Amino acid sequence: MNASDVEKVTELILKELNSQHNVSREPEKPTGSMVKFHKNLNTIPDFKRTPDLKEKKVRNHMEDFSSVDHPTNQEYLTEQIKKTPARIGVGRAGVRPKTNALLKFRLDHAAAVDSVYGKVSDELLNRMNWFSVQTMVEDQEVYIRRPDLGRKLNDEAKKQIAAKCKKNPEVQIVISDGLSFEAVEKNAEDVFLSLQQALTQLGYEQGTPFFVKNGRVAIMDDIGEALNPEVVVLLIGERPGLISAESLSAYLCYKPRKGTIEADRMVISNIHAGGIPPAEAGAYLGNVVKKILDNKASGISLVKREK
Amino acid sequence: MSSSGNIETILSVGIDIGTSTTKIIVSRFSLENIAGASHVPKIEIVKKEILYKSPIYRTPLLDNKKIIDIQEVHALVRKEYEKAGVMPTDVKTGAVIITGESATKENAQEIIHDLSSEAGEFLVATAGPDLESIIAAKGSGAYQYSLDTGKCIANIDIGGGTTNIAVYKKGILLGTCTLHVGGRLIEFQDGEIAAVSKPVKEVARMIDQSLSSQEDVESVLDFMVNTLTEILNGSIKTKENPLILGHLPEWGNTVEAIMFSGGVSECLYKHETAQSELYDDIGSCLANKIKESSRLAEWEWITPLETVRATVLGAGTQTTEISGATIQVDAAKLPLKNLPVFHLHLEDLQVGEESVKQAVQQALEMYDPNQEGINFALYISGLKILRFSEVQQIALWLLQAFQMQINNDQPLVIVMANDMAKVLGQSIQSLKPERPIVCIDQIKVENGDYLDIGSMLRAEVVPVVVKTLAFHS
Repeated sequence: MNASDVEKVTELILKELNSQHNVSREPEKPTGSMVKFHKNLNTIPDFKRTPDLKEKKVRNHMEDFSSVDHPTNQEYLTEQIKKTPARIGVGRAGVRPKTNALLKFRLDHAAAVDSVYGKVSDELLNRMNWFSVQTMVEDQEVYIRRPDLGRKLNDEAKKQIAAKCKKNPEVQIVISDGLSFEAVEKNAEDVFLSLQQALTQLGYEQGTPFFVKNGRVAIMDDIGEALNPEVVVLLIGERPGLISAESLSAYLCYKPRKGTIEADRMVISNIHAGGIPPAEAGAYLGNVVKKILDNKASGISLVKREK
Repeated sequence: MSSSGNIETILSVGIDIGTSTTKIIVSRFSLENIAGASHVPKIEIVKKEILYKSPIYRTPLLDNKKIIDIQEVHALVRKEYEKAGVMPTDVKTGAVIITGESATKENAQEIIHDLSSEAGEFLVATAGPDLESIIAAKGSGAYQYSLDTGKCIANIDIGGGTTNIAVYKKGILLGTCTLHVGGRLIEFQDGEIAAVSKPVKEVARMIDQSLSSQEDVESVLDFMVNTLTEILNGSIKTKENPLILGHLPEWGNTVEAIMFSGGVSECLYKHETAQSELYDDIGSCLANKIKESSRLAEWEWITPLETVRATVLGAGTQTTEISGATIQVDAAKLPLKNLPVFHLHLEDLQVGEESVKQAVQQALEMYDPNQEGINFALYISGLKILRFSEVQQIALWLLQAFQMQINNDQPLVIVMANDMAKVLGQSIQSLKPERPIVCIDQIKVENGDYLDIGSMLRAEVVPVVVKTLAFHS
């Protein structure tokens, strides 16, 4: 499916749903994005208290798609659907899924594919004043087939970083699209600003932030070699799934250098509107950085030291 | 606490000083990060163990039963702590509550104040009749039963002085009600009536009984059981009945099952093995009347997990919640007790500045009308996932609005419904570093609730007790 097809399908589904279920809700504002449906893919679990009936009902993204014919216990079914973003209670037509459920599946799949192939906008990079460098791979197909090339900076990148970045900072923040440009587009700004505020309050000296196109997690080793920071925080797009295509991860490592082992990296994942809210995640990351710097270790080494 | 498997324990104590009996319970909560290693921590109470249950003591009274014997209560608490091997400084949360008729004793407030400072760091220190009903229903197992089965159950906690009813369906509180029905409302001495409480005298007058014979007592007991039945099935519509204390029930005719707890229910279930003390009052007669009532038999009866200890168990183990794991608090300002809550539903940020200002103004008028510097907690709900710039905006509005407070040295207390306390707290702090902040999240409160916030634990969370009076209809 190309972009305009997806748009059409989206419109069709929305129209159909509104007429079928007579769902009264605000019309979706056109965002120009293909992945309208992904605005609130996950539910935000309320684990502290029993549900407050007076409060407005929060709709799970799958609720609109549930269509079991003549359920024995509708109340129970609705409750179960609300508890998970997974595709349950979608009903069936004979042995096949219903049209709605199938279209929703294909739409989510298309959104996942799009997030791998899309490109972070210059608008965001300019606004945040992040200069952009490239790994050793430019072609998207090659990037997917050759993870090793995504772990190394190209020569031009090394030159630019050497010229533009502050050396030996305590904390170096780097942003990379990884496998989801949407993750960066939607969440990186808020995580970054909030983390920056937290680090400033903690009194840490920060390096010059920049963006790496087509990066993999271990790109932090090359960056560590080039800039000699104490800690690298890498905000990188996660491999998209059918639940969310815009989830961001923050990888942290104490003194990443050539030969750093994976066990010494740590990650805070699931940062997006339906997971950990980006601004709150940034504030929390400040704590994690502090812990790493206090213990001069990250990952499993940090866990060992804390014991 | 960045990895799972790292368990922290805290001690919680419950002390219940009732009309007839006083009891103490010590329990240990285990807190654990239940989120995966790659997630932001989520701290929950994963285990509650009862370490020690005191015997059931008679509540010590003085001066013709008008006041509670403070010395005696202290001695009792000290003795029980010693037996349990607990130091007051070890206690991190819990509740001292004075229930039933004891709450009306002249020195009840004094006791509460004394105990909550001397016996450890208690959060809840008082309980009105509504909260008492809720605590009893949680301690008896009625609340859990409604969660497990989805049924609508009434917990009827019958003590010496009052009966506290709480109705739960699927874990949701439908209402509470308190009655002057209890074992100690008529006392005997050598087979003769020795004391009769005021509401019972009124009932006797109403049904034209002089309370001179056993038959008269029987008819008063029948009246009590009938009132209880009508309260449970929602058919009572008037407050004329002298047995009703406070408001009428609001759950209609929805109750499917009933559970009895409290001292009088012990006569029904005989959970306590060692207890054979005679109380010389109407407690066991009342229990018999309840057992024989054909109208009460129409409901399904569920056996409680605890009888006479339901309230103390609830107080010790069911009152504490844990805040979200990412919060921003000035540890030196904790604990905070009895903060009234003002609820601001903030949806439209267009008018956010004005909304915040109005809310703080109203809260100050309501809770600190004489400008004595009484603090409050602002609860903010209704927000969507916010951009960082929007958080900055709200931080500024809050800081400006809170400058209206008379005393700017006291902490600015904010409770967020959404997971955003840390970034909001940090934003406020970076604007005004000298103002102390207590900004927590993922606790649900309502207007009129009172909030206790405990000291920060090792897992960087705080224990919170919400003294709620809100019902869900």
